Amino acid sequence: MNQAEISQLVSKLRIRINPRHKNLKNPEGPQGRLKKLRKTLTALFKYERLELNYTLADETRGYAERLISEAIRHGDTHKATMEMADYWIEEKQLIHKLFKVLAPRFSDYKTSYTMLYRAPKAYPDIVYPRSIIELRGNPFPPILSQKLDQRNFIHNVLLEEAKKAYRAEKYEQITKSLGEQPKVEVSDK
Amino acid sequence: MKRFGSCLYRNYNYTLSKRYVSMSKEFEIKSEILAYQNNLFDKEQKRQREAVGRIEKITVNYNGPPENVVLSMNKGISTPYHCAKHISEMLIKRSGLALIDGIHLWDMHRPLESDCEINFMHAQYLPDPYHFNRAYWRSCSLILGAVITKAFREDILPTLHSFPSPNVKSGSFVYDVELSNLPEWSPSDNELRILSANMVKLAQKSYQFDRLPVSEELALDIFQDNKFKKEQIPNIVQQSVDKKVILYRIGDHIDISRGPMLGNTDLLGRCTIAAVHRLETKDGNLYRFQGVSLPKNIMLNHFAYSILEQRAKKINAARLPDQYLNDLNDTFVPQFVAEETIA
Repeated sequence: MNQAEISQLVSKLRIRINPRHKNLKNPEGPQGRLKKLRKTLTALFKYERLELNYTLADETRGYAERLISEAIRHGDTHKATMEMADYWIEEKQLIHKLFKVLAPRFSDYKTSYTMLYRAPKAYPDIVYPRSIIELRGNPFPPILSQKLDQRNFIHNVLLEEAKKAYRAEKYEQITKSLGEQPKVEVSDK
Repeated sequence: MKRFGSCLYRNYNYTLSKRYVSMSKEFEIKSEILAYQNNLFDKEQKRQREAVGRIEKITVNYNGPPENVVLSMNKGISTPYHCAKHISEMLIKRSGLALIDGIHLWDMHRPLESDCEINFMHAQYLPDPYHFNRAYWRSCSLILGAVITKAFREDILPTLHSFPSPNVKSGSFVYDVELSNLPEWSPSDNELRILSANMVKLAQKSYQFDRLPVSEELALDIFQDNKFKKEQIPNIVQQSVDKKVILYRIGDHIDISRGPMLGNTDLLGRCTIAAVHRLETKDGNLYRFQGVSLPKNIMLNHFAYSILEQRAKKINAARLPDQYLNDLNDTFVPQFVAEETIA
């Protein structure tokens, strides 16, 4: 099997994928880990924005991305995809949401389908790094404040013009020096 | 350390006063001319206030932070500044300019004339503080004029000529001045530093910009000692719609400008007078004073600011006073429109 065919098997995700999975320490072992992930994934599809410990959020993100990309790629008539969705999503009405709401929403996206932000830790209560995971295009207000357009503030106008003046001066010097160079060469010969 | 610094500064001031720059005592002395001008200004201001007559009410709408309000104000008496006082201290402190009905730029201390919707502009006004910046630049020129008239020793007789239309992109604000008894002057760094310090000192006195439209005769009377302004006034009157000249006053300094200006001098933050260039014009030798400044709310690190200072040292490309000449008459015609609006 050559390389091109492998890339056809699994859809390429638009997030960084960790080389090794996270164990997510759990009394029930690997089974408990999967249980935890299924619960979180279900909640993510249900609420669209969650605040979690960073490790759990990061681990969930990969599964969510994969599930959405499979849903977009194969649709709800593909048996394997449907089985996968059935395994990962605990509340069964959310399977409809995955195929009928999320897949159409994300079908034109050129970016990842989820976002992961770092959240502040409430020192000294919580020592583990917190984070916020969300589906893009959710109805909530944006987490990061929108950037002000400061280009027209007086100092930026002045600095921009100073930059232009500096460049104009430099270009003039360069053209001057270019004009002088050939003469030097001629005199050398 | 701080004490040492202030001593040094006093020392500088002393040595320089021997040369051209006056000491702070002389700075406060009101000359007879100033008293005469201010007397006329006060009288006219009082007359105009009394001419309002019966007080009528107008409705002023304000939509914006901290809350939307409807104010009932006095026609011909209440100004945008009064409206701001009714709304919030934040608006009083940061606003430099008012926007009436989304079109007219209005001075903070200019009485409102009819029912209107009001908005306040400041240095970080969104989407674009362009008009605030222009008003700021213009006000800086006016403050510079006030500083120049007072900073020199008595016998140097600075005569203010004019300042070109404000252009922030040129990198410096400008005032053209004639210094009668200083034919060849290139200021030292310390002299420029003192001028800059005087700018800031004057600004920190928190003078209001009083706006007053006056008739040609009165304007000529006020500027009878300034040969340049006397020449300019008839042309200004010709160009203006209502045959009025608009005067501005900060403290006791009076100047002509079409405005609009800021509300108060304390909006001036960092300021540097960067250079003084000698100009050869038809009106004789003039000195072009150039400076750069940032409003109080704009923070900039010292390195970036030094770039602006360096740029402000190069001669400002704004038109020289004698380049304003048009073909019809060969006297100076400053750009003058009765009212500035957003095009």
